Amino acid sequence: MTDSILSVQGVTKRFPGVVANDAVSLEIRRGEIHCLLGENGAGKTTLADILYGVYRPDEGTVILKGRNLELHTPHDAIKAGIGMVHQHFELVPPMSVVENVVIGTSASQWLDLTEVRKRLGKFFDNYDVRIDPDAEVGRLSVGEQQWVEIFKTLYFGVEVLILDEPTAVLTPQGVEELFRILRRMRDEGLTIVLITHKLKEVMELSDRVTVLRLGKVVGTVNTVDVEIDDLARMMVGREVLFQFKRRRSAPEDPILEVEDIHIESVTGRGSLKGLSITVRSGEVVGLAGVSGNGQNALFDALVGVDKPAGGSIRIDGVDTVPLSPNRISRLGVASVPADRIAQGLMMDFNVTENLVLGRHRSSRFSYAGLLRRKAIDAFAEESIAGFDIRTPSASQPTRTLSGGNLQKVIMARELSGRPRLLVAHQPTRGLDISASEYVRRRLLEERDRGAAVLLISEDLDEIFQLSDRIAVIFDGRIVTTTTPAQADLESIGLSMAGAAT
Amino acid sequence: MNGEVMNGEVMPDEGRPPPGPMEEPLRSDGPSKSFRTGAWRVEKRLVVRPRHEFAALAAALVVAILIVAGLVNALGKSPTASFAALYDGAFGSRESALETLVQATPLILTGLAAAVAFRAGVWNIGAEGQFFAGIMGTWFVYDQWGSLWPPLLFVLMFVAAAIGGTLWAMIAGGLLVRYRTNVILSTVMLNFVILYVLSYLLGGPWQAPNTFYYQTARMVDSAFLPRFLTGSRLHWGFAIAIVAAAVVYWLIRRTTLGYEIRALGINSVAARYKGIRVGTVTLLTMAISGALAGIAGAVELLGIHHRVQVEIAEGIGFTGIIIALVARLHPLGVIVAAIAFGALVNGSTAMQYQTGIPKALVLVIEGTTLALVLIASVASRYRVRRVKSHG
Repeated sequence: MTDSILSVQGVTKRFPGVVANDAVSLEIRRGEIHCLLGENGAGKTTLADILYGVYRPDEGTVILKGRNLELHTPHDAIKAGIGMVHQHFELVPPMSVVENVVIGTSASQWLDLTEVRKRLGKFFDNYDVRIDPDAEVGRLSVGEQQWVEIFKTLYFGVEVLILDEPTAVLTPQGVEELFRILRRMRDEGLTIVLITHKLKEVMELSDRVTVLRLGKVVGTVNTVDVEIDDLARMMVGREVLFQFKRRRSAPEDPILEVEDIHIESVTGRGSLKGLSITVRSGEVVGLAGVSGNGQNALFDALVGVDKPAGGSIRIDGVDTVPLSPNRISRLGVASVPADRIAQGLMMDFNVTENLVLGRHRSSRFSYAGLLRRKAIDAFAEESIAGFDIRTPSASQPTRTLSGGNLQKVIMARELSGRPRLLVAHQPTRGLDISASEYVRRRLLEERDRGAAVLLISEDLDEIFQLSDRIAVIFDGRIVTTTTPAQADLESIGLSMAGAAT
Repeated sequence: MNGEVMNGEVMPDEGRPPPGPMEEPLRSDGPSKSFRTGAWRVEKRLVVRPRHEFAALAAALVVAILIVAGLVNALGKSPTASFAALYDGAFGSRESALETLVQATPLILTGLAAAVAFRAGVWNIGAEGQFFAGIMGTWFVYDQWGSLWPPLLFVLMFVAAAIGGTLWAMIAGGLLVRYRTNVILSTVMLNFVILYVLSYLLGGPWQAPNTFYYQTARMVDSAFLPRFLTGSRLHWGFAIAIVAAAVVYWLIRRTTLGYEIRALGINSVAARYKGIRVGTVTLLTMAISGALAGIAGAVELLGIHHRVQVEIAEGIGFTGIIIALVARLHPLGVIVAAIAFGALVNGSTAMQYQTGIPKALVLVIEGTTLALVLIASVASRYRVRRVKSHG
């Protein structure tokens, strides 16, 4: 028997209308890296939240080191020795690293920052992480903030560290460093539970992996015993195509021509410092880069909500810089924003209303300032069917849809006008494999139809999979332009980090 | 990433909804969105349905009544007798019921004014000032062209009232669009400005000849809004208010502008990204809101007071804000809420007369109701569930 540190036995957790965890049982061994693999909605995060005291299971028990675990709050979990780093950091940006670590330690009224700083410094030195303990957390990069989160948790002396999708925000090099240090921590006796839906990471890092699908455990396997295809099949429940059939793209005339645009950054949205890029009809240009290097500013400039201080943007030869977002969209520019909830949808509208957002004034959907309700309803039904939007009805509040279906609402809306240019910013972020596959397929269909597609993404696999050309953005400029055939992950990664010249 | 939101309005909180049928929702906002005490857990609802809102609203009203009853009791009076007197004064007879509608008339209009603006997320707190601007527009037309053929005069007076309210509201609207000025502050301050302008006019150019009062002369009878029935003050203004509510409902639900107003109120960032002209819609919203408040002024002047005095308003603009919130910004709900508040105002006189409880208690009722309704509207987004204990 290998030493089990944490044992989950028959845990069931129900939410209204759905069983998030259905009699889940698994063993976590002391000193292993154990991946929880599954699509969104498989119940990974719910399970982790149960281990971390956020939720209580409706049925079943969790046993830590042979003792029944009764967790009411995350605080209980930390006291018991289980820590978790969420996808969304829980840090206070204006405070220093040391102060952020101290926040959670309600041990005494007396704050001994010097002591904390010393211990933290040692931690950082030990693992070769270069962060100034007195730096303001808001000024650190996302990768560095993640380290603060991890060390904050370790500072409490936890034995089991749960990480929820930790690589989502990192460059390939950042991922490598994270993995290197996680392995070392494991070797020193820490037990690590890593939640992910990325198969490659599982293969690379984990000792064992438990696959969840639709709330149930599909199985727990030793990573060395399986191939990546096996895991994919376990996770999705069917064969997965990792390669899209690529028609040879036949790019034609340029549709989007961006020349030397400059935008001053407003509060960390990233500046543009002379960016130029061209996207032709019938091609996908993948714009790779670490977030914060100007992708947001570029997106805003293309859709017209922000105006460059210098340079020009032309769509089919028409200068769009002086045009309003509405005029630009009428030139045939469709956009899929990175933050679909904040920038793309009215969560309190119903699905129908969201499907015409932005086109509600077109002659198809309105007449003399009145909404054509029949035309709108018909279009909504058509879109829901055509894009397989899973919703009980067209009048369903948008708020109730899942992430994948929210994205389908946006895609249906944006593609319905048969755009000349489609700007897709992180179009599959947070989506599960099936939904991502669907979105990617639609993007390629748009290309094949003759649209110009600009894919802004931080997911390099996605960039390689879909792009006819790849451009890398760093510090507000395009630093590299290449093709998937000529490039490899490493060189792109280096350009993303600004190493290329 | 949190996009900046105009008007300092915060994006509605997404909470941590339970997973949908297919996948987990896009956002997981961390662990702290539900909390528990003992065997009960308080959780956020994914969808707040009308019945949840009604239940919360009903609970709020019951609690408000209990609190007020406690206050009355503390004054040494009988709560039941007081409420009976209040009810009697509001609905006890045909006359009192009609008088309740008289009180409700301007409240419907200012309630609509607030509801339209709030729908767009534009916090126009200036209905009181726009109400005065409407009165001034009305009086100006009457003063200049009072001898015109009455139907034409009425049209002109109402148009002038709407323009007055609109112009006054557009000052704050323009400041918001152009300089991002906080509308709450600008509209409240403009309330005072117009009050002093009016006071100046009432003590000067518009003052009735040979009086010391700050008021105009009485209007001629032909310029009064006709009354429906003898023995009641109920006038055509009530019909105007009902029609206005229907028009606002239609505007919000059926027109592209109404669609944009709602969109702006829900998510101004996405509205901007999807090409809605945020500045234009904001200005138009303020214009409509101001026009409604201005018409409320004309209705009060022409239907009830027949002369301009500072006392006409009596907080009608502010009460409209409470009404809009209690009605959850629904134009038809505004009618119901306005009648309820009109009943309070009307019934309180009878209550004071019969039981000696000061009329000012109505202000307490209004305040308590508003506070509780706001709490209820937040509370209706949550639910309490029993958690099975285990282990």
